[in-house]
Amino acid sequence: MGREVKGRRVSESPNILLETRGLAITFGGLKAVDGVSLALREGIITTLVGPNGAGKTTLFNLITGQLEPDAGDVCWLGRSIKGQPHWKIAQAGIGRTFQDLKLFNQMTVLENALTVTERRSWLWQSGGRAAAAERLARAESALEQVGLADHRHTRAIDLAYAERKFLSIARILSAGARLWLLDEPASGLDPRSYERFIKLLRDQVGRGITICIIEHNLDIVKGISDRIAFLDQGRLLAEGDPQSILSDPALASIYFGERA
Amino acid sequence: MWAYLNNLAVLITINAILAVTLNFVLGYAGIFSMAHAAFFGIGAYTAALVAIKLGGGFLLATAAGMSVAGLLSLALALPALRVRGEYFVAASLGLQMLALTLFSEWKAVTGGIGGITNIPPARFPGFEISSPPQYLVLSLVCLALVMWGVSRLVNSSFGRSLKAIRDDETAASAAGKNVAVVKTMAVVVSSALAAVAGSLYAFFLSFINVESFTLDTSVYLMAMVIIGGTATLWGPVVGTVLILLLPAVLSFLPGLPQTEVGSIQQIVYGLAMVLLMIYRPGGLWAAKSKAGA
Repeated sequence: MGREVKGRRVSESPNILLETRGLAITFGGLKAVDGVSLALREGIITTLVGPNGAGKTTLFNLITGQLEPDAGDVCWLGRSIKGQPHWKIAQAGIGRTFQDLKLFNQMTVLENALTVTERRSWLWQSGGRAAAAERLARAESALEQVGLADHRHTRAIDLAYAERKFLSIARILSAGARLWLLDEPASGLDPRSYERFIKLLRDQVGRGITICIIEHNLDIVKGISDRIAFLDQGRLLAEGDPQSILSDPALASIYFGERA
Repeated sequence: MWAYLNNLAVLITINAILAVTLNFVLGYAGIFSMAHAAFFGIGAYTAALVAIKLGGGFLLATAAGMSVAGLLSLALALPALRVRGEYFVAASLGLQMLALTLFSEWKAVTGGIGGITNIPPARFPGFEISSPPQYLVLSLVCLALVMWGVSRLVNSSFGRSLKAIRDDETAASAAGKNVAVVKTMAVVVSSALAAVAGSLYAFFLSFINVESFTLDTSVYLMAMVIIGGTATLWGPVVGTVLILLLPAVLSFLPGLPQTEVGSIQQIVYGLAMVLLMIYRPGGLWAAKSKAGA
């Protein structure tokens, strides 16, 4: 899958949006995440790679507050968000997708995008009609950007597979998240949808979105990563630019299961 | 005959209010509450007491019933909704039993097993409702208002939050929904609206006792919602009409031994449930699913 990397400059942005420090969690004796310190820099795509069970999704769950770490800290914009509830961290600007998508299946495409803009838990939202119109516009624009505007009244469950993936992106786009944590977003996409998907991510990064992706397919990893973080058995083994990580024979042998 | 039909129509309408409000949590929020009859009862007892002891009219009595039911539902919702699904079923079942004990044992207030008698007719500023046809109109107006309110809520941002949580709780909280608060609000609204039915019931019969508010009632209400169609506006109403008409129809069918009507009724219910699960799993009123699953 060759694709051009349009001469983009991968700058070492000084701004660290999110940082984990010595993050660790144990599941019944298994160190799922073991002292991971990782910085996600603003405006780039960082890819998490590593064999199955390396702790990549668990790391997402720790960052988003779905799991509480046994040790370590998570800092968002320089402030600790550890221990905050899941929904609060989401409202702070950290959006995520799931491997199994977890769409709101019985709701329409538009409702999926709209409900994430409605943040109050109360019986009504604040701001009256003007704010409601603004939220609707935001949801419509998200659907427009992922190419689902024509399906706005289709129930999520009735969408084709690739469209479901795009809807999961529309949801975090509409929510206005600054950091996107994407769990294997490109798996199972046909080549055309894949190209469209990569372009979408690049466009969003161009608009200042920061993305962290879990990905297994090394062709995809090469194609989209600005930075790569390599995890194995819960530990962060290496972090750096794609060239140096992907050409490291030690990491390759771990990735392809040639561990002693 | 007319009196019988009128009576039946009022009871159907009151039960429809209960089914519609149960559907609000069951169908739209995916919360299985076994305590709906308890809130129906709390509404009825509160309204009856307000009417008798304070001389309150229908509006005051209903408002009081709604407030008490809403507040008490917090006691159920706050602790129980922090955990998932099955635990709420168990907790609501516990509350239903507790309420039942209270209704039958707290004699000073509820009159014990004998219940509360001589509830005055429903008074409004300037007029009074006492005849059965008037009660039918009143309960239809209440049903219409409740359905209007529920459909407004369901199609609002709050309704979308509920549906999002029902479809995927993890995704909903990852999308910024405060799941516990949204669910708690849904339970409070549903319980408070169930109290409207309680108030109507107390005024209409002018007599209430614990028998109307048992677990059986909660189960029947759940059957009405599921048979009619969860997460639809009219489904619970259709389900209520069917379930309440069935015994009436059976008892008028020629050739059926009257002593056996009860057990025949159970057989018909069971059969209907099984057939429904096979052919219309979403309920009678459910929109046909396009792509299946």
